[in-house]
Amino acid sequence: MASARAFFPCAGALAKDAAVKFVSFNLMPYRELPDDFEEKYPSVWVTPPKTLYDPKRGHRFYHDYVDELEFSIDLGFDGVGVNEHHSNAYGLMPSPNLFGSILSRKIRSQDKTSLLVLGNSLALYNPPIRVAEEFAMLDVLTGGRFIAGFPVGTSMDTNYAYGVNPAELRERYYEAHDLVMKTWTTDELFMWNGKYNQLRYVNPWPRPAQRPHPPVWIPGGGSVETYDFAINHKYSFSYLSFFGHQYAQKVMDQFWDRAAKLDGDMNPYRAGFAQIVCVSETDAKAQSDYEEHVRYFFNKCLHVDPRVAEAPGYRTVKSLRAGLRSQFDGTMKSAAVLLKEGLSWQELNEMGFIVAGSPQTVADRFKEFSEKLHVGNVMLLLQIGSMPHWLTMKNLQLFAEEVMPKVQPIFGEWDASHYWPSGFGADAEEAGEEARTTSKEPAPAFGD
Amino acid sequence: MAQPKDQLIPANDRVTFQVKVAGQGEPVVFLHGAGGLLWDPFLDALSDQFTVYAPFLPGTGNSTGLENILGFWDLCLAYYDLFDKLGLESASVVGHSLGGMIAAELAATDQSRVRRLGLICPAGLWLDETPIPDIFAMSPAELLAHVVADVDSPLGKMMQQVPSDIDALMEVTIARVQNMQAAAKFLWPIPDKGLKHRAYRIKAPTLLVWGKQDKLIPPAYADEFKRLIPDAQVTLIDNASHLVTLEQTAQVIEALSGFLAKQPAAALA
Repeated sequence: MASARAFFPCAGALAKDAAVKFVSFNLMPYRELPDDFEEKYPSVWVTPPKTLYDPKRGHRFYHDYVDELEFSIDLGFDGVGVNEHHSNAYGLMPSPNLFGSILSRKIRSQDKTSLLVLGNSLALYNPPIRVAEEFAMLDVLTGGRFIAGFPVGTSMDTNYAYGVNPAELRERYYEAHDLVMKTWTTDELFMWNGKYNQLRYVNPWPRPAQRPHPPVWIPGGGSVETYDFAINHKYSFSYLSFFGHQYAQKVMDQFWDRAAKLDGDMNPYRAGFAQIVCVSETDAKAQSDYEEHVRYFFNKCLHVDPRVAEAPGYRTVKSLRAGLRSQFDGTMKSAAVLLKEGLSWQELNEMGFIVAGSPQTVADRFKEFSEKLHVGNVMLLLQIGSMPHWLTMKNLQLFAEEVMPKVQPIFGEWDASHYWPSGFGADAEEAGEEARTTSKEPAPAFGD
Repeated sequence: MAQPKDQLIPANDRVTFQVKVAGQGEPVVFLHGAGGLLWDPFLDALSDQFTVYAPFLPGTGNSTGLENILGFWDLCLAYYDLFDKLGLESASVVGHSLGGMIAAELAATDQSRVRRLGLICPAGLWLDETPIPDIFAMSPAELLAHVVADVDSPLGKMMQQVPSDIDALMEVTIARVQNMQAAAKFLWPIPDKGLKHRAYRIKAPTLLVWGKQDKLIPPAYADEFKRLIPDAQVTLIDNASHLVTLEQTAQVIEALSGFLAKQPAAALA
């Protein structure tokens, strides 16, 4: 059996059967955009006409997605994941915490699955202690089975939809992070005189169930600033792209490079990435089951107007410089360009955008790239695009029951407890605290 | 073309300005727009009659300290500090677009520092019925079509040129993003930061110069500025959009030089 976790893992204990941790992630897309959407409208994000949204269909979709995430808990995924987007027709969770609170009712009644909110875009909350409060609520509600995600947020979400000044976004993010963490780690009421936030009475109730705080994950693209921020704080870094494991390889290599330089800790659970997965009875059946829904996702859901894709100042000049070079010299075709040009089902598979096929095919692929990436956490996109409820349920069940057991434990020597919830029980408080403050496993050399 | 001298001047502990200086005669401070500062034929012609001081907005060129500026108040104080360092007790100030918005704030905040005020299609006001398009959500071609009256004119064609060398292209792109980033700090998401509440304080005689075909900040805004500023007159210039200083350089210079050369009423009395 793959990745059975002890209910209350002891600090430093080696989980001998530790495998890749699988999170069932749901973006909650609108599944019925018109056929000519991408020709008729400039963008799925920021500007898609609200009149395309039918609340009656939206009602159905929301409840389908909650059912799918609850089913994921029944199936024993390591986590269920939700995230935050604004003015976005493929990500209908302006407040992921609302869904987190629904899911927490089921999460508290079992001991395998954690709740991952990946996450709240800190600069969008005023004051940011709102995030400290709501995440503490979720941590308490789930019984300490909660992971806190702190993204900067995309430029579409933060600058365009929410109007945050791009020149201030990162400063606001870092200040909000410091404030939230101080809120969680300080017992006494304190005052905060920041550049963007002034509070005389910081004293939110409740405080988190996990001590000193829930595990923190940082989703991000490939910027050195984000790697360093995650590494220096001992947070788990998640590369959330829709381009799959081959594109993730370049980012993860850079990440592990930085980790080797900064602290040498190669714990695979300090990193994660996202992958679209489609499982069916056979490889051929996977294509007939899923192709139209995958194409809906790539053609409509990734149809983002370049004019609102990146505000000036959203990326640092350092990151900009690195990105422009590969864009201008043509050494690497961007994934978005490749997708726009059109790829066959086989190409999508071979290039890693999707992992599709029979359970054996999918399991083999996972074993192969998980070791190469050395990544312990995988955000699985098992619902994607227009995929209907019944098909998502099939995908979830086949992955959990037919693929997961075939993915052999490959990170057995590593301890996940610093990056995963400790739960909440008689002695969990101490165990969690110790786990989160002492994570110094001697690191074997990574790579060759 | 006169070669301007570059000076690097720390205005205070937090902000340092790169300033281009050229010409002779009475001082005129020129504040550039969101596209950044280039020593162009307009500034060259202006420096024939005046001593032109053209500072780069913090965060552009070699001016630094953008991150230390919290808002317009800080920005005004940094410019006053720069005036002190340049030995300008008071000076005429000319600003284009974003620079016009800053110039108007400078004139409204400390009335003693701005002698005469030249506002060339300034930003800073907002009319719900005539919204200013979002320059931070336009393709380069769309932006160009908004700021020049004729994209097929020599100026329009020149502005469509892209360097073929990758290194040059990188540097041009990065400079453009840095200019826009600094501009966005003061214009995002809507270029109205309260000038309408302060414009009544502008005591300097004011000339508003506007391209008749301005598609970025339409001439309706000239009327609004004139309504709010006590001593203001408007010169509309035909066959010009937002880059009026480059599209109709001679006409803008003529209007400005006549206006700036006038003696203040107090001195005549």
